[in-house]
Amino acid sequence: MLKVRIIPVLTFNGFALVKTKQFGNPRMVGNPIQAARVFNSRNVDELVFTDITATYSGRKINLTFVKEVIDECFMPVTIGGGIRSTEDINDLLKIGADKVLIKSMAINNRSFIGEAARLFGAQCISVAVDARRTGDGRWELHSKTPTGLDVLEFVKMVEQEGAGEIILTSVDRDGMMQGFDTELVEQVLNTVNTPVVAVGGGGSPEHFLELFQKTNIKAAGASAIFYFTQFTSYDIKKKLGDHGFPARFMAAGK
Amino acid sequence: MSCVIINYGMGNLASVSKALRKIGVAHSVSAHPEEVMAAHTLVLPGVGSFQAAMENLNSSGLAEAIKMRIGSGDAKLLGICLGMQLLADTGFEPERCSGLGLIPGEVRALECDMPIPHMGWNNLDIKNPTYFGELEDLDFYFVHSYHFVPQHEADIAATTDYGGPVVAAVQRGPVFGCQFHPEKSQRSGLMVLEHFFAQNA
Repeated sequence: MLKVRIIPVLTFNGFALVKTKQFGNPRMVGNPIQAARVFNSRNVDELVFTDITATYSGRKINLTFVKEVIDECFMPVTIGGGIRSTEDINDLLKIGADKVLIKSMAINNRSFIGEAARLFGAQCISVAVDARRTGDGRWELHSKTPTGLDVLEFVKMVEQEGAGEIILTSVDRDGMMQGFDTELVEQVLNTVNTPVVAVGGGGSPEHFLELFQKTNIKAAGASAIFYFTQFTSYDIKKKLGDHGFPARFMAAGK
Repeated sequence: MSCVIINYGMGNLASVSKALRKIGVAHSVSAHPEEVMAAHTLVLPGVGSFQAAMENLNSSGLAEAIKMRIGSGDAKLLGICLGMQLLADTGFEPERCSGLGLIPGEVRALECDMPIPHMGWNNLDIKNPTYFGELEDLDFYFVHSYHFVPQHEADIAATTDYGGPVVAAVQRGPVFGCQFHPEKSQRSGLMVLEHFFAQNA
């Protein structure tokens, strides 16, 4: 039986790992290579690593450095940040990335997702969808410059273009550790069939349980819980497993 | 015993090479038929379409070298994901075409009520423990839209459950193939690689 996935999401500013609150106030939380080594030793299901300042600063992601992060990982790794062309994707896949995470190019040039999916296979093209509540029961697609795009319309387009996965982050819940925006997750899952990873707000194993019980989600991502609490991905999956969700554990001593 | 990872322009070489380094298997990565002919263990990775892969293997002379090397009887082969599917006689991705023909069978599109591709961690039902040992109940990482349907049930080394049984590994003599990615399956995957490399052809 296919297992649910719990995925650490590492955000990088070009120098160190940072943890944001509602996408602001970045706080340095460590060294990516060490973090990747720790998450690998904890046997996590997958890892997402994204350089959140690359596009904004007009940089390309540092391939030499990212390769060192990937080299620590013996599980699937998704890499994002500063992707502007299919060559950028090819560069990341060549150094061992399993998937790439695309955000700005998905907003600015819609045909790019389709082109990338055709060239490299949909399974390795993930799209980052950052959603901010607007106050009238909708969510707007969040980016550095306002997009004015409705999140549900945008995920439909992302699916039509052929993305393999959507990494859906609630900007409002980011770093707050007070639970997921389950309403957002439910609405997105009702809109698309593409696999979705729900991110933003997971601060305790109970938050993950609530997310999996209230929605039909199969994968969740988080970061603050791994930096600022005693809980590991094992604790989260133990919680889910105890409530009947199929979770992946490594046999003790193996 | 020399090992070569066959480079035919189709994906995941870096990850496979890294996993072999991790378990201490000396190897080279090569696109040359003569190096394949000289190796004792062949690793055939791959991501992409069956037909494109066979075109690359045929035009480079690698397909012929692999078949001759395995036919000689003192070499073994590990196929991973697409590399496992290429062991079959026939593929259909996107059009019907011939495979390496090392394990009788066909590779067909997955058809079930579940989302395609089958992507994520899934556990195995082990039929032939030669390269699995005591790994029952552990999960392995899968990403695929096509699956291997062997002609002989005896060639099925393991299945996984995804809307019904799906072949997860095949083995016929010295030829072993896994649909999942051992190089991406954490310790369970590395253990399968260790078992494979610990045994002689």
